[in-house]
Amino acid sequence: MPEALNTDWFDPTRANVLVGILLFLTFLLINILRARRAGTLYIRPLPGLTALDEAIGRATEMGKPILYMPGLGDMSEVGTLASITIMGRVARKVADLGSSMQVPCYDPVVMTIMDGVARQAYRESGRPDDFPPGSVHYVSAQQFAYVAAVTGIMIRERPAANIYMGSFYAESLFLAETGNLTGAIQIAGCDKVTQLPFFVCACDYTLLGEELFAASAYIGREPVQLATIAAQDWAKATAAILIVAALLLLAMGRPELGHFLQTS
Amino acid sequence: MYLGPVLVTFAVGAALIVLFFVPHHQAQAVNAEILEWATIVYAFALILGSISLWNTHARKVRHRIEGWPYSLVTMITLVAVTGLGVVFGTAEGTAVYAIYQSVNSPLASTMFALLAFFIASAAFRAFRARNLEATLLLVTAVLMMIGRVSIGEFIWPGFPAFTEWLLDVPNLAAKRAIAIGVGLGAVSTGLKIILGIERSYLGRSN
Amino acid sequence: MSWAQRLLSVDRRIIFVLIGLGTAIPLLMPVNLPITVTPRVEAAYQTIDTLPEGSRVLISMDYEPDTMAELNPMAIAIMRHCFRKKLKVIGMTLYPAGPGLVEPAMKAAAAAEGKTRNVDYVFLGYKSGFQTVMIGMGESIRQQYPVDFYKTPLDSIPVMRGVNSYAGIDLVVNLTASSAADYWIQFAASRFKKKLVLGATAVMATDYYPYLSSRQLLGLIGGMKGAAEYEKRMDLFGDARRGMDAQSLVHVIVSLLVILGNVALFASRRSGGDGTPARPLGGPR
Repeated sequence: MPEALNTDWFDPTRANVLVGILLFLTFLLINILRARRAGTLYIRPLPGLTALDEAIGRATEMGKPILYMPGLGDMSEVGTLASITIMGRVARKVADLGSSMQVPCYDPVVMTIMDGVARQAYRESGRPDDFPPGSVHYVSAQQFAYVAAVTGIMIRERPAANIYMGSFYAESLFLAETGNLTGAIQIAGCDKVTQLPFFVCACDYTLLGEELFAASAYIGREPVQLATIAAQDWAKATAAILIVAALLLLAMGRPELGHFLQTS
Repeated sequence: MYLGPVLVTFAVGAALIVLFFVPHHQAQAVNAEILEWATIVYAFALILGSISLWNTHARKVRHRIEGWPYSLVTMITLVAVTGLGVVFGTAEGTAVYAIYQSVNSPLASTMFALLAFFIASAAFRAFRARNLEATLLLVTAVLMMIGRVSIGEFIWPGFPAFTEWLLDVPNLAAKRAIAIGVGLGAVSTGLKIILGIERSYLGRSN
Repeated sequence: MSWAQRLLSVDRRIIFVLIGLGTAIPLLMPVNLPITVTPRVEAAYQTIDTLPEGSRVLISMDYEPDTMAELNPMAIAIMRHCFRKKLKVIGMTLYPAGPGLVEPAMKAAAAAEGKTRNVDYVFLGYKSGFQTVMIGMGESIRQQYPVDFYKTPLDSIPVMRGVNSYAGIDLVVNLTASSAADYWIQFAASRFKKKLVLGATAVMATDYYPYLSSRQLLGLIGGMKGAAEYEKRMDLFGDARRGMDAQSLVHVIVSLLVILGNVALFASRRSGGDGTPARPLGGPR
């Protein structure tokens, strides 16, 4: 017998999520107004992103390519979207300096987007004909087949810089250790918490967790983008205050706030 | 030029957010339908990927770039396995199933097994007491490595409970904090895309 | 070059050889070190053990060959547990490479407990779509899987009689090395309110501790150690328990290497060096 069909138009158990989203949008709006009025907002230095310029410069001097890996996520992964933005900046710098870059991709949709971003970067640099066709290419949608191909590229072509930005899984240490073996400067940013320790151990610079998402704002310095980072910080502070408040209230025998914050 | 895709992104993104809060069976049917569309789009994207793969390796073979025989093997394998799969299927007893069991499966397991070696060399190189944080990292790592296996119990019966505490309290606290940050970052990036603030997914570099 | 500098610059290949020996020797000469069952694995065991006879357990084995060393022993141990308790097992996978591993595992578990396909268990096979499949099964399993892996219509399979959605399933078990676990928690446990037990690789198991305390998961089996604990609880000697000796020795070797490396670092600093390793002897750079 089929389950009874749900005919409710609102799930009250998700009211807390709705409140959270509305609160975040409010923070975003306030900070966009702040950023527009002030012209900019302070964002602390992120060594991993500052090192990107150094890495690209080093690769240009050595005449060796840069290897940019967007991770194993598809377009539904937020880490991949962040990676696309960073790659655009890297491609622009590579085009400006006349260096070279390879982007082996795991997902064919991501490859298509990355190719478009790279071509656009070369056009903006005034060198559309310098874009090497095939520099952004699809490898495999199998995890370790991708790893085998990319580590092969690292060993054969000895890139001067390896940049890992996106969603990585068990292959993170494999890639980073092989890159370390070849002597490349390595910069990583991953949103998967379980892989961060491996990147921290094997890479020169690592963007931890949400720093990856701050990259587009950090690199572009556009007021609206910076406003989203500020809104994130305000939301984090609010979350911390609410958690402490809920714990204190619970200790006083008032569990209502704690129950409201619980997800179903 | 990009207004159309941005509007589509806004409409679909906003719709999916609304559907998250609407448990009505018709709304959830729409949600499931959209997820099916994503699967279909991905299937077509695989064709794009295969074309890219073919072009990359064909160029290497054509210009006799170092390693071109391996590219030739890749191209032959791509055509052969695809053809066998289309003609005979992939069920048990078919050629593709046999190729998978005897080639793909052992290769994937072997590659994953190599991680053990890389972890050892990375740990030897990275776990050095250069400063306070690095010292804490290496002490914790050594305690966890010993305590999480049978030999830890052998050395001290309280080891497993101690490592469980390390995982349950300090590790979980740090993970939850990072997860909250990552979650908020993901929400922020998602909203930026839906609201059209972030347009990198359109293939633009800004 | 001092001994400390030599140690700090040791060729990676020496480390690889030590790890290789540390893995191979215990597999060839097992010691059978003791294993204690931890509360999380015990909770998973009890969740299955307390199910009444005839209950239906949906086991989604979402892994591929790279993680089978950790997850396959779990799958076999759990299925044998279900068979011993006379539970009906519904197996499935959401990974295209899954059937090649899951089908032999189900056959092995059934053969070991003298169970018959279609009467005691069914293997639905692979279906693409992840969330789509999980949501779809909430309405109709037959829409997602009209036939099983062997092309038998579900209507003619005794195990599937009266089961066409989560309503007919008493427990969901997910064995995975990927984010499939998040979706099973989101849909099976939260939306459809099913009891859920999770088996995951060691590296990702700790991510799911919060779900245990919130009771969205009723048990958690982490990595090969968790699988070995489950085998111990079942009084089985499977691949997981066999592998624990090797895992123990490798952990000891890595710990000793780390300690030696730090001893060399301090010795090197004392003799005026900065602890930076020189180019490894004969090794690649």
